[in-house]
Formats: sequence, C-alpha cells, structure tokens
Amino acid sequence: MQDKRKHGCGWFKGRRTFLGAALAAATVFAAPGLHAQQGVTSGEIVIGALGPLTGPFAFIGAPGRDSIALAIEKINEAGGLNGRKLRLIFEHANTPAESVAAAKKLVEENKVFTLILASGSTGAAAAADYVRAAKIPTYNIYGATPIIRTPFAKNIFHSAIPGAEASGKSMIDEVFRAVPNAKKVGVLAGTYAFPQSHLKTIREQMAARAGVELVVEQFDAAARDFTAQLLSMARQKVEAVMILGSFTEAGFAIKQAPEKGLPATTTWVLDGSGVNDGIVAIVGGENTKYLHGYYNVPYFPTQVNDAPMAGFRKLWIGKYGNPPEGRPNLYDMVGYGSMYVLGQAIKNAGPNLTWDSLIASWEKLSDAKPSSMGGVDVIFPETFSATDHQGGRRLGSAAIVDGKWKVVR
Amino acid sequence: MSEFVMVVIGGLAFGAIYALAAIGIVVIHKATKTVNFAHGGFVLFGAFAAYLVVVKLQWTYWAAYVIVPLLIGGIATVIELTILRPLRKADLFTVITATIFIGIGLSEIYRLSYNTEILAMPNPIPGRPFLIGDVILTREQIWVVAGAMISCLIGVLVFSHASMGRSMRAMASNVRGATLCGYSVNRVYALAWFVGGALAGLAGVFAGPSKGVSPELAVSMITAGFVAAVIGGFDSLRGALLGGLLLGLAETFAAAYVSSAMKNAVSFLLLFVVLLWRPEGLFSEGKGRDV
Repeated sequence: MQDKRKHGCGWFKGRRTFLGAALAAATVFAAPGLHAQQGVTSGEIVIGALGPLTGPFAFIGAPGRDSIALAIEKINEAGGLNGRKLRLIFEHANTPAESVAAAKKLVEENKVFTLILASGSTGAAAAADYVRAAKIPTYNIYGATPIIRTPFAKNIFHSAIPGAEASGKSMIDEVFRAVPNAKKVGVLAGTYAFPQSHLKTIREQMAARAGVELVVEQFDAAARDFTAQLLSMARQKVEAVMILGSFTEAGFAIKQAPEKGLPATTTWVLDGSGVNDGIVAIVGGENTKYLHGYYNVPYFPTQVNDAPMAGFRKLWIGKYGNPPEGRPNLYDMVGYGSMYVLGQAIKNAGPNLTWDSLIASWEKLSDAKPSSMGGVDVIFPETFSATDHQGGRRLGSAAIVDGKWKVVR
Repeated sequence: MSEFVMVVIGGLAFGAIYALAAIGIVVIHKATKTVNFAHGGFVLFGAFAAYLVVVKLQWTYWAAYVIVPLLIGGIATVIELTILRPLRKADLFTVITATIFIGIGLSEIYRLSYNTEILAMPNPIPGRPFLIGDVILTREQIWVVAGAMISCLIGVLVFSHASMGRSMRAMASNVRGATLCGYSVNRVYALAWFVGGALAGLAGVFAGPSKGVSPELAVSMITAGFVAAVIGGFDSLRGALLGGLLLGLAETFAAAYVSSAMKNAVSFLLLFVVLLWRPEGLFSEGKGRDV
C-alpha cells in the first residue's frame, strides 16, 4: 500500500483540491445564513406545513393542507415563482409534542425552505420556540396565541387570524352593540390555548369598563355537556355570553341553555371558530336570532352569490370533488389566501432566494392579496412591515341571515 | 327548587341514553358471555345512520327509529357470523380482544369515510319549551327520557318474556343445558348480537341530536354504557336500566353542584365504590349461596 503523503498527494498539497475546498467554504460562509437556501433548487421550492389531520381539531389542519395544496397547484399551473415550482410537504401534528416533532422533521430532515403552521393556537404555541431558534421563515396562518407573537421574531409572520387582542375587542364590541347597557356579561371559555389567550385579553379589556361584571366559566375541549357552566350563568342572570371555543362546543352550550334556565333572548357572541354554519343545525334555525360573531375573512364560505366565493368554491370542487359538510370552511379560505401571500413574498424576493431575502421581501408586502397573482380574494388584503408581522388586521361582523352566517359589516 | 328539577330532568335525559347502551351490552354478555367492547362503535354507527336518514335522505325521525336498529342489529350479526364465530373456536379471551379492535375499526371507518369534525342532527321534536312555574322543559328532553325509557323497557320485556328471549335466557343460564334442550348456540348467539346491536343503534339515534355524530361518541358511550352496566350488575337488564339512570343523575348533579371537572370523575368514583362495596352490582340477578 502506498503512502500518499510520500508522493505529494496529501489533502492540502494538491493545489486544485485546496482551491476547491476554499471556494466551497467561501460559498458557504459568505451566504447570508448557513441553511439559507435549503429547500430551494433551480427548479423547485419546498414548502413545509404542519397541522392536525385527525382528532377534534382536524377541521383546522385538513383544510389547511387541502387549501395550501390547491393554491400551490394554481401557482404552479401559472408558471411557478421565478421559474421554480412549489412543492408541499405536510406533516400531521395534533398534540404540542407532535407539533414540535413535525416542525423539527420538516426543517432538519425534509430541509424545507419555509414553514407554514397550519395548526391552531395549540400547535403554534408549541412550535414557537423551535421556529424562533431555527430562524426559518415561518407563516403562522391560524394561531391566535400570543406565544407565537411575543417576543417579536424576525422570521415569524402571521396571516388573517389576528392576535387575541383584536378579536377579543371585536367580541366585546359585538356584545355592547347587541346589549348596549349590559351589566353582567358571561364568558364561556375552552381550557385550551386559543380560548385561553382570548380570555386573558377579554378580562383585561373588560376590566377597563366600569360597572360591568364578568362571569367566567370554563370547559374542556370537545365538551358536550355544559350543565355546570350554564347553571352558573343562569344563577348570575347574565345578559350576554361570549363563547370562546369551536362551533360544536358553542352549539351544544347554546342548545342546552334553555334547559338550564337561561332566557331564550340571551345574546350569544361567538369567536371566529364558533362562527360556522354547522352551529345552525345544532341549535336549530329558529334559535339563531341572538347569535353574533366576527369573521376573519370578507365572506362566509356559503356566501356563494359573491363572485370571489363562487370562484373559490369552483376551484375547490375542481380539485377535491363535492365537498363534505362544512367544507370549504374558514380555514380553507385562509390557507388558500395565505399561500398566495407567501407566494407573492417569494416572488418579490427574486431568483436569489434565501431566508434573508424572503424575510426582507415579506416585510415590504403591502395590500397583498391572491388576485395579484391570479387567485381569488377570499381573505382581506395583508400588509407587513419590519416591525409588524401581522398581515391581516380587519375583522368582519357576522350574523345569521336565513339560516346561514353572513359577513354583514 | 326549579333549578333542582331541571337538573334532575337533564340527568335523566343523559341517563336514559346510557341505560339503552348498557342494556345492549348486558344482552350480549348474558347470552354469549362476551364483553362487547365494540358497542360504542355500534352506537356511533347508529347515530351516523340516523344522520343519513334524517339529514341526507330528509326522512322523518320515525323512519330512523325503525330502520337504524334493524340496520345496526344486522351489522352486529354479520360481525358475529364472520369474525367472532370463527374466533370462538379459540377461546373467549380472543373474542373479547377482537371486539376491542372491531370497536376501534368501526370508529376509524367512520373517521376515514367522513372526515369532518362533527355531524349535527336537528332537534327531533322542535318547538317552544314548556314552562311549568320556573321549570323549563324542552320537548327534546321529554322525548329522549320517554322514548329511551320505553325502548329500554321493551328490551327488558323481550328478554324476560318473549320466546325469542327464552332461548337467550336459557343460554345465559346454562350453555350445555340449553344445547341439550335443543337450542342452537350459533342461532342464539346471532340473535343476541342482533338484539344488542339494535339497542346500540337505537341509543345512537337518541344520542345523535344531543351529542352530535363524531368518533368521540363511540368512546363516551362505551364508557358510560360499561359503567352503567357494572353499577347495575352485569347480568341484570333491569340493573343496567337503573344503573344508566343513576349514572346520568350522578354526573349531572356533580357538574351542577360540585364542578364540571367532577362530571367524569364521579362516574368512575361511583364505579369503584360499587365494585368495592357490592362487586356483583346494585341490582344483580345472580343467585348467591353460602358454602
């Protein structure tokens, strides 16, 4: 066996090898970040996303997956972004632990270029620390939790679901619009992350209203029996109740309310996930007169007489066939619209795509909407800046008209 | 006082549905000695079938009350014939283990075929609630309590007095003796699974409007059904009926006067107390003897 060093063939003795290594090292270290271009090739950009596909929150994650895939398909059909096609890798994540594991897998194993958190607040809160540390550009499209928003992170952006402060304020406004002189207001809050973040800000904001007492009762996720909470509300004679939870939880609570002694004229104000047509079937069409809520997008999914919704529904059915009950829903609309906003940020970043160039481009987006890239506008336009990464701030006021929710203001 | 009355009625409404589920479990157990862990899956399929009949086909609830028990009873019989009968040749433990996975399988079939959070069913008896003093009684509550209780009583009477029930009682009492008397084990087992499945299907029709149709329904109903059956005495249909009502009342009272977190805890507390104090159940029909 020959000793290579004896014959002058060692690692640093070969000039070509040395120059090659130096060039490679220079390329790596001169790049804006060590992993800045992972997930990007000359012809493809890999987008990672995570969310719950089964379990009680599948109504969030499954639409997230489907709608992001729909937007990606349309963007690719239109030629892609700066010559590159998009490819989605979606990971199921239900629990906080699964959310962290899914984020790690997408970033470290699948080497995605950017990450979309298509989970609710629970998943977004769980993945927050990891995505902050990984510095990967991340789009939180459904999570209202403050944990993903505070402290501010340069790499994390938020879509059409604003922070709990804005939606909490909107709910309080709805209460006092319906019952201007309310003195006792109830809050029925789920014990999981999204309702709890809402509850915190509602308590703070209501504390500033003199002479109004807040009655708070809590329930576990997927609860169907609200005996304890409703009896407490009835005993304290609340005039309006804000429900912080899903439409099924809200629906069964409202349905049970008369049995527990709450007057049929009680005003109910629901959060964004409660504003769902599924609730009409639960409470009965005749009991919807006193239901109010806010909505994160300009149309309710069933407002198919409005051209953008009709167009979106047509696209959705074109890809997935006749939808099951309740689909496409709010999360389909936000997922689809958000993917277009992200697409616009990627496009504006130009062909030299890095994490830094994407973040810089994203922070300059103003009034970004799907129609700018040939999509349909099913979200309010989103604007970002270097110090404010909340894209969507507007909330519509919703009520039930002819048995269906509508965004009325 | 009015609040107390409303709590009692609310508890009875839950309890009547639990009782219906528990009686189905007890019928199968009495006749075949099989603890059916797939019962929650049958309730879920019953609720789903009711949803299809009432919401998709737009037929009346009466159609659901007739069609669904027959359908779910049929499904239960097919499962007995095709899966459990061959397994019976092994041993009872294998059969019981199989029912666990059949139950999981049924829930997953539903989840995969109908990937939505929950299916909501309309109120079976819509209309303004009745006001008696300060007590508010909804028509649905009255119907669930009355309808489910009548169904339970019919189930008990069929098992106790009808000729169909005689064969199952004979098998429950002594398998070898019943066989020597000319009863067919296979036929009686199939019949028991049909009756048990039908009762589970009916429980699903009653549970659907108040709990919604989702895979979680299977879990909640199997848990409540088992606790009710154990409280009442696993060999007693009357015990299952009373156990269901007792469980519904206990849960509702705990939620109303202690805390909502106690609702589930109280059912298990009740279960442990009964098992420690009277392991044969509160209303057992078993005959003990001193030796």
